[in-house]
Amino acid sequence: MRAWLVTLLVSLPAWGAELPIFDAHVHYSHDAWESLPPKEAIALLRQAGVKRALVSSSGDDGQQRLFAEAPDLVLPSLRPYRSRGEISTWVRDDSVPPYLEERLKKYRYVALGEFHLYGADADLPVPRRMVQLAKQHQLFLHAHSDVDAVERIFRQDPGARVLWAHSGFERPEIVRGMLRKHRNLWCDLAFRSEHGSGGKVAPEWRAAFLEFPDRFMVGTDTFTPERWHYIAEHAQWSRRWLSDLPAEVAERIAWKNGELLFGSLLRR
Amino acid sequence: MIARAAIAVLALASAGAAAQVLDFSADEVRAVLRHGPWPPAFVPDPSNRVSGQSEAIELGERLFFEPRLSREGRFSCASCHVPGLAFQDGRAQGLGRTELDRNTPSLLNVRLNRWFGWDGAGDSLWAQSVRPITDRREMDSSASQVAALLREDPEYACRYRRLFGEPRDAPDQAMLVAAAKSLAAFQETLLSGRSAFDEFRDALGRGDRLAAARYPIPAQRGLRLFLGRGACTACHLGAAFTNGEFHDIGIPFFLREGGVDPGRHGGIRQLQASPLNLLARQSDDRTGAAAIKTRHVALEHRNFGEFKVPGLRNVALTAPYMHNGRIATLAQVVRHYSELDLDRLHADGEAILKPLRLSREESADLVAFLESLSERASASPRRRPIAPCRG
Repeated sequence: MRAWLVTLLVSLPAWGAELPIFDAHVHYSHDAWESLPPKEAIALLRQAGVKRALVSSSGDDGQQRLFAEAPDLVLPSLRPYRSRGEISTWVRDDSVPPYLEERLKKYRYVALGEFHLYGADADLPVPRRMVQLAKQHQLFLHAHSDVDAVERIFRQDPGARVLWAHSGFERPEIVRGMLRKHRNLWCDLAFRSEHGSGGKVAPEWRAAFLEFPDRFMVGTDTFTPERWHYIAEHAQWSRRWLSDLPAEVAERIAWKNGELLFGSLLRR
Repeated sequence: MIARAAIAVLALASAGAAAQVLDFSADEVRAVLRHGPWPPAFVPDPSNRVSGQSEAIELGERLFFEPRLSREGRFSCASCHVPGLAFQDGRAQGLGRTELDRNTPSLLNVRLNRWFGWDGAGDSLWAQSVRPITDRREMDSSASQVAALLREDPEYACRYRRLFGEPRDAPDQAMLVAAAKSLAAFQETLLSGRSAFDEFRDALGRGDRLAAARYPIPAQRGLRLFLGRGACTACHLGAAFTNGEFHDIGIPFFLREGGVDPGRHGGIRQLQASPLNLLARQSDDRTGAAAIKTRHVALEHRNFGEFKVPGLRNVALTAPYMHNGRIATLAQVVRHYSELDLDRLHADGEAILKPLRLSREESADLVAFLESLSERASASPRRRPIAPCRG
């Protein structure tokens, strides 16, 4: 543990209430565009105190519309889906790599994903090509994956940078093991609640956050348009449990890690 | 397809007519038996000291039909929970002083619930009974108004005195809770009757294939789908055909006037903040056992947009369906599950839900089974004559 952590083992509930949030898991897909135009979507993010958001959509036009509305706030990520119905078919769809290549020529992104990829499917030609494209364009991979698929991605490209969506819904000891093993692995905590239930950080998660304060991020996961109305609630919920951590750790997980990793990527 | 020739059908000769029972496996028979017996035994609510008491049931019944419980004297509980409509209202969304956001649930079998309301904001039937009385969009009443009625109306005052003590001495809030506990005692008596399915289930259990054969073949095929490929019993289980919990089945939950209905997420927050939850002093359960569920309920992100799994008894009489009444018919409900939009569900959320891809015949069979869970007499009960109170 770093020295600064030892000196800052004080909870900051009042300070925590003001924490900006880097939301690492936002979707703005086709059904959201209709019910929530970009101006309103951006307003919801700002009202929630979201400083930056990693946004992907199915199809890709969603985050481009949001990015045009608020380039200071939106960090676009490119999904390998043209519609969400492709979640389980994209890995064998030969039209996906040309689609990604075309979009990468046309627009700027900080990541590829969020994509759903499990086990040996990660070694199929389409995901392999996606990993190559991430390397070529120096992009993060936002992987909704099990441990096996994450391992396969790193075998394909040991230099890959992976944001592990929902931290694979794995137990904290597994997450810690993966973080020890892979220095280019970061974790989002979207759509899981047990680490901060009731505003208190569970001991096994506390150990993970204190061991790897620079490797975690929070995220809402707006997988349906209705969930955009949960962004503010989620931000408040995050502030509550983060306030149970040392201030420096809380700040890192709340927004500094995301800002440090993704904030400057569009300026390349 | 269930109807195909591969499924053997046992033909029984019965008074010259060919009656049939599908060859349900031993596992299927066990699964069928788990949906009974019906009616279930009465178990008093330990949090309600007048639960099951005949005098409380009588007071509760009078209050259920009492418009003076509402602010303007225009609404009673029965205005929305209409006895002739299986104690619901037949509307997509309820109508109180204004149009509401949710479908009015039937009160038949309500005592079998673990949580109350589409969002489970109530952890007891009596606490849930307070909600519409004081909700500004519904009866818009208050503890003081309810207490005044119970004190000033001689019939109510007499009945209150016999059950709870002298009304003149009681605080308003305590009288509101007492009224709600009496309302709950009455609602506990609202039970659906025995359906065609129950006759079939019991006949199957005692090996009476002749009696079982009276259950129509399409309903039997639908039952097999319900238990098997449909995996409907994952949530619609037990005698009441519900697990009593909350799920997201891909129904949109935007509100007409903007914003969203948070469903179970909002329900848990209301429950935890409620001065009438089972952790509070109004509960009559001194063992604390009734409150265990409330003490341990945890708020999770997945709760946002979840709504309670309704029981399926008398389901054919309670259209329209879902928390906001957006599905008009049982056939359309079956189509919803047949063509389920996976885009609406989280990849790691409701893993049990997959599109069933039912044929037209299979859909009709499933509807036939669901209709067989209904029984009409209980949906239109007669009010019992109640003698005046003699205190």
